[in-house]
Amino acid sequence: MNPADLPPQLHLDRALRGDALLAAVREIAQGPLAAQVEAIDRTGYYPCAELQQLAAVGAMSAHLDSTAGPADYGLAIRAMAEASRVCGATGFMMWCQAVCGLYLQQSGNPTLMGDVLQRHASGAGMGGTALSNPMKSYAQIESLLLKATPVEGGYLVNGTLPWVSNLGPDHYCGAIAAVVEADGAASQREVMFLLRCDAPGVEMRECPSFSAMEGTGTYALRLKDHFIGTADTMADPTRPFIARIRAAFVMLQCGMAVGITQGAIDSMWAVEAQLGHVNQFLEDRPDALQAELDALTARVMQLAQTPFDTSTDFFIDVLDARAHGAELCLRAAQSALMHQGARGYLMSSDVQRRVRESHFVAIVTPAIKHLRKEIARLSTEEMPA
Amino acid sequence: MTRALPTATTQSVTSEFVLSAASQALCDAFADAAAQAPWQSYICNACGYVYHEADGDPDGGLPPGTRLADIPDDWACPLCGVTKADFSPYEAPTLEALRAQASAAPAASLRVRGEPGVVIVGAGRAGWQLAETLRQHSATLPITLVTACAGDRYDKPLLSVAMARQLDPLALVSETGRDAAHRLGVTLLAHTHAVRICADTRQLRTTRGVLRYGHLALAHGAQAALPPGLPASLCWRINHLDAYQRLRQHLGDQPKDVLIIGAGLVGSELANDLALGGHHITLLDTATEPLARWHDQQAGPQLLDAWKDLSIRFEGGLQVEQVERVGSRYRVSTTSGRRFAADEVVVAAGLLPPHRLAQSAGLDWTHGIAVDAGTLQTSVSRIHAMGDCISIDGQCSRYIEPIARQARTLAAAILGQPVAPYEHRAAVVRVKTTTRPLTLH
Repeated sequence: MNPADLPPQLHLDRALRGDALLAAVREIAQGPLAAQVEAIDRTGYYPCAELQQLAAVGAMSAHLDSTAGPADYGLAIRAMAEASRVCGATGFMMWCQAVCGLYLQQSGNPTLMGDVLQRHASGAGMGGTALSNPMKSYAQIESLLLKATPVEGGYLVNGTLPWVSNLGPDHYCGAIAAVVEADGAASQREVMFLLRCDAPGVEMRECPSFSAMEGTGTYALRLKDHFIGTADTMADPTRPFIARIRAAFVMLQCGMAVGITQGAIDSMWAVEAQLGHVNQFLEDRPDALQAELDALTARVMQLAQTPFDTSTDFFIDVLDARAHGAELCLRAAQSALMHQGARGYLMSSDVQRRVRESHFVAIVTPAIKHLRKEIARLSTEEMPA
Repeated sequence: MTRALPTATTQSVTSEFVLSAASQALCDAFADAAAQAPWQSYICNACGYVYHEADGDPDGGLPPGTRLADIPDDWACPLCGVTKADFSPYEAPTLEALRAQASAAPAASLRVRGEPGVVIVGAGRAGWQLAETLRQHSATLPITLVTACAGDRYDKPLLSVAMARQLDPLALVSETGRDAAHRLGVTLLAHTHAVRICADTRQLRTTRGVLRYGHLALAHGAQAALPPGLPASLCWRINHLDAYQRLRQHLGDQPKDVLIIGAGLVGSELANDLALGGHHITLLDTATEPLARWHDQQAGPQLLDAWKDLSIRFEGGLQVEQVERVGSRYRVSTTSGRRFAADEVVVAAGLLPPHRLAQSAGLDWTHGIAVDAGTLQTSVSRIHAMGDCISIDGQCSRYIEPIARQARTLAAAILGQPVAPYEHRAAVVRVKTTTRPLTLH
């Protein structure tokens, strides 16, 4: 075989692995990131430099096959948890960057797997994912918002996507459009592509202020006759591609839930010496929550060993672990506020910020209700229609 | 206690001429203080804010290294505004000490205080029978019943004789789940899938939220097996009222060609009943006669004899390889190259208990949820099982007769009453082939 025919190798020679990566992420999270958390939350500061620092040590590429080693989803999730423990918004942007890297590497498109992925994994390129709407579409919750009309050499895409995160003027995201046949008829086919914010026919629009996620670079994207060619195609058709990556996509989000929950437990212990005598009357005490979190983390680490298992049973397990993470996150953040009392209710307190972050984990796609609906759909015995 | 200043610091302080007088004074103060005693921390009695002398409160005008004694009286706590008079000495405890303190407190959490009652998974005959029996013995025990279906009560054996008895498939429900729940004072979670058991926290995760349980009873039955190569979207499996009603709706009033794969009990009974309803049946099996399990009792030949005036064609010794849709009909191919056409395909290839819940709780498993023969207890405490999903000494028994006896044993075990041990007996099988009912042992 000609070496030129092999898929491009991702070179990550400076990326750390294992405990060294986690230690480096912790240092960034508790140092420069902690110093910006309030600005991220209150004034919408987009932590570009801090994200690039995290990318540089390998925090958003541990789940990719590279010269640093084979894909390690457990490590990627733990790295995301370390950052989320300090700043949930940053944990979310790490997930955006991580799944965008997943799309690029799994696309099989040499253009995307080469330079684009190389820049992306190093943090020189940044991007997100516009798959909230398509994921809900595949789970039969809503219909696709982007339409792609076939033209010579590619498609023209039209439509508006609300709320795409980790974007900036020179950023990009993975997106999916429904293919509309030339006569205007809807087909049963979709196309997935890399959507660049600075490309012709793409307009970024500011969103109204977001609770807890104001610093996440979230915009609406309006597309008008935006052309995509083969160079930017991630999957065509998309269904086999989505079936392959869906478990990895959902699983990576567990890092946010685990980290925010741990941060909440930390803040309960912080007031235990002073307030333990009254806090003992609360439900969801830190020791019980920690035991539940440890069990969930162990379960997620087990699932992370086979991120590309495409069986329905495995996907149900991943969806349920993600749901458990969101539920635990809500309970822990809520209970942390009860534990801290007025002190945690100050606008400057990480405790009340974490309550808002936990709400985000519960409502971001796939939200708790979507997860349950999808588990129910996948659990129902199929019969002739 | 005194502490020596690092040499390098001393040198830099003494050798720099450019230091302003103020800075010099601050450095001296810093050095003096550090030399006198370690920095202390103080906690605000009102809000819990911790003042570290080493860090000071620069926003409040206190440079790092400001002792509590040196804080002006008009300084205000940055969080709540009280003055330094409301601060007490504070030493951060270790996490281990906090854990010990928390676990020494009485009643660690609500989880162990409340009475979450019994959660039953499955609303077939076993689940409802257990709910009835528990309610007979306790008027107050909280009972929650979780089921993937509507929870309506019906006699499953009627699915095999509905046509012969001219029963309307929509009228087979003897009591709706809603009515039964109301009558028994049971919380019914219908159309709800049980997803996972967290045995350590005694929680059942479902698609409608998380339930706590004092005791969990698994009565979710078994699922109709689907051999490889037979797509679920093309083949009916009749193990629930809902699927049976939909099949009957598809069959309609006109005679149809129905191909049934598997000539065991369910396959033979369905063939018999659908043929009596005017449909043309082809019945396939890998064995050379129907009911081959009872070969020594001549069950097959008796049945074929009884069927000689019905439109039932039995084809033995065939292994189905593929089912395909061809236009509005189906084509069934066997490994030996034979082909059959039909309007509907029904697979009756036995039952398999789903293992998701059992696996999530780490329950012992031998062809089904392994339970103790006498108590129906699984390998994990407070989790019990009964009905079609269990195995006793590796044997499954999927009949109606044992269910009432199992419910009595299980209810007594859950309620802490003297348990009459469940006795596992060989079942007598009554084959409801109405043209010639058989009793087999």
